[in-house]
Amino acid sequence: MEAGREVQVSEAQIAVHWKEEEYYQPPAAFIGQANAADPAIFDRFREERFPECFKEYAELLTWDRYWHTTLDTSEPPFWKWFLGGRLNASYNCVDRHLATDRNKAALIWVPEPEDEPTVVLTYQELYRRVNEFAALLRDWAGLRAGDRVTFHLPMVPELPVAMLAAARLGVIHSEVFGGFSGAACGDRIADSGSRVLVTIDAYHRNGELIDHKAKADEAVARAAELGQRVDKVLVFRRYPGRYSSETPMVEGRDFFVDEVIGEHRDRIVEPVSMPSEAPLFLMYTSGTTGRPKGAQHSTGGYLSYVAGTAKYYLDIHPEDTYWCLADIGWITGHSYIVYGPLALGTTSVIYEGVPTYPDAGRPWRIAERLGVNIFHTAPTTIRMLRKVGPEEPSKYDYRFKLMVTVGEPIEPDVWRWYYHVVGKEQAVIVDTWWQTETGGFLGATLPALQPMKPGSCGPGVLGVYPVIYDENGEVVEAGSGRAGNICIRNPWPGIMQTIWGQPERFVEIYYRKYCRDPDSKDWRDWPYFAGDGAVEAADGYFRILGRVDDVINVAGHRLGTKELESAALTVPEVAEAAAVPVVDELRGRAVEMYVSLKPGYRPSQEIEDKVRAAIETQIGKIARPKNVWIVPDMPKTRSGKIMRRVIAAISNFSDVGDVTTLANPEVVEDIRVHVQREKVERGEVPRELTPEEIEELKAFGQVE
Amino acid sequence: MTQQYLAGELSVLLGRLELAAPDPACALAVHRLRREAETVPPAALGPVAARALSVADEACWRALERGDALAFARQAEACGELWRFGVCADLLQEGPGLG
Repeated sequence: MEAGREVQVSEAQIAVHWKEEEYYQPPAAFIGQANAADPAIFDRFREERFPECFKEYAELLTWDRYWHTTLDTSEPPFWKWFLGGRLNASYNCVDRHLATDRNKAALIWVPEPEDEPTVVLTYQELYRRVNEFAALLRDWAGLRAGDRVTFHLPMVPELPVAMLAAARLGVIHSEVFGGFSGAACGDRIADSGSRVLVTIDAYHRNGELIDHKAKADEAVARAAELGQRVDKVLVFRRYPGRYSSETPMVEGRDFFVDEVIGEHRDRIVEPVSMPSEAPLFLMYTSGTTGRPKGAQHSTGGYLSYVAGTAKYYLDIHPEDTYWCLADIGWITGHSYIVYGPLALGTTSVIYEGVPTYPDAGRPWRIAERLGVNIFHTAPTTIRMLRKVGPEEPSKYDYRFKLMVTVGEPIEPDVWRWYYHVVGKEQAVIVDTWWQTETGGFLGATLPALQPMKPGSCGPGVLGVYPVIYDENGEVVEAGSGRAGNICIRNPWPGIMQTIWGQPERFVEIYYRKYCRDPDSKDWRDWPYFAGDGAVEAADGYFRILGRVDDVINVAGHRLGTKELESAALTVPEVAEAAAVPVVDELRGRAVEMYVSLKPGYRPSQEIEDKVRAAIETQIGKIARPKNVWIVPDMPKTRSGKIMRRVIAAISNFSDVGDVTTLANPEVVEDIRVHVQREKVERGEVPRELTPEEIEELKAFGQVE
Repeated sequence: MTQQYLAGELSVLLGRLELAAPDPACALAVHRLRREAETVPPAALGPVAARALSVADEACWRALERGDALAFARQAEACGELWRFGVCADLLQEGPGLG
């Protein structure tokens, strides 16, 4: 035991060492107005108070009947939150705000064409529209609580209206991202068993009016192939009274909403009081050629969680104007454009088009004109806006108090542009880590109470206790510098209930790996496996490394390929670097580095040694490459992406596959001859790979 | 991570590329790639984007060979949009080797 501990310490000392970024403190003006400015909140959510701590989130909502059990763990890992409680999500997002904020803007919709007027839906108008669409779904389409309805809608106000109308009836909605093909929509219709599809004829994107209705026909045909008949297709019109698609309407199946809604105008539909654990919606994730994976989210737990996290982490106040640039077709849009902000009674902005149309100043013009003070987007969009208009934000007179980033790790360099240029050094940044499956944030800084650190999402959010496990289920200690699989030790109200119709798959994917006892009813035995690699710094902040298949597992240490390559690139002579795994009898896998040199440099032992030293210094001895291969060029796609799969195959003496589509297929053979001849001479020819190892190498190539 | 949106954006851009395809064979190739983008794990989107660029590049050359400036312009625009997104989403690497 003692020896084991010594090994642990020793490994910790030599493993991954991140360059720690400096802290940024929130401005005093922000702290002064923040929803969570009293450190006592940490005490309210400390582990000893779990799960009752989440009552604070649930109490943000209006319940028809109070719950009797905060967390039911009788059927792990199918957790039930606020059991016995009843509520309606639509009521909570719309009706309850009428008494005080009837004429306040609930949604502000900005069409992509700048000459088209902005549309404002007050809470009263939203109430009217939600009710009449709910009447249509119930009385014309025949939908009842528990039925499923699929929406294939872009960023138009009809989408949140339709979601809230379904929620009003207890109908489970499944929105498919509007940009997806009809076939993808059809797959999801079939899986959910929807017999009604709601779509639109057209929408604007990047200066074009896109024919969207055409996809409905493809979707219905695809669903039929899979055995699901769609009876009715409801078609909104982008321009009322004018059909903007070239696809004919199908008699008896397709109906214009503005025609069939006539008799339902101004109807009021009583919100259906739903059990807390009733499903609210399905959100499908891509990533499988097999059956789609529909994350099923609950009514009471989910709505409580997004309301609570929106209040404390987005710092939403009713008087704010909040703009999340994500698409409602993703979980971010569901949680933090529609349900969270509207549950809190704020004003949420929806933009139809792409942020760089007609130019990179568009987001900042919108922010200036609408007085947006909370801004929320993804690192990809931030990089895009920086690339095409790095100075644009300074031309506009807006002021953000808080900015959010979501979806992927943000590089410190990009973070700093976001902070200095977009936020004008006045806004706090909340870097969030979470997933479709988790409903809401898992890792983030509480903006007034925890300083920001570029590149790190922060600690676990209130009431969520992350942990990093190695492959053997041992805890990777904070500050050890070692990476591992980030997991959540406890359930939380926003967690998906199951995969729609596939409970075994749900358990297998998210809980099997680290479950201590499958018969246990104790939540402590069921950590949630997120599937992302991460490092926890000594201060408890997490840095997310990406999906776990982006790393090379050396003797239980998960080494990020990006970090290995970044270290190699600090050697001045190195132009490009690629890290690949090689099968190693002792350590399972070892790292091999391939580097190409800048013009004017010749391969030498000295450069190889420099690369080794750089990796050892910056990451640790555990990451020391087994070999450093200096090659004249890397095998690349025509876009310049290094084909690591091909290099890994060479290092492991396995089949490199088809390389004819590469930009430089001729280098593959040169590298193969050079590397494999050397390995043969050194006696480093590996044994024949197992089928699993071959698959692993192919999968490694998938992240290229 | 909530990376599903990368698959969605890539699908949209491939849809544009498909519409701008100069011939049915190219359209079919892009259509298949789009389907792939909608089904592979987000971590595997990079190769899909790279192959799409390769197809689009070829289509541009074919349009030029035919002297079809309009088709070339449409392809090039869709291709440029795809490339910018790919680089910003970290699916493609900026630098040499762009065919």
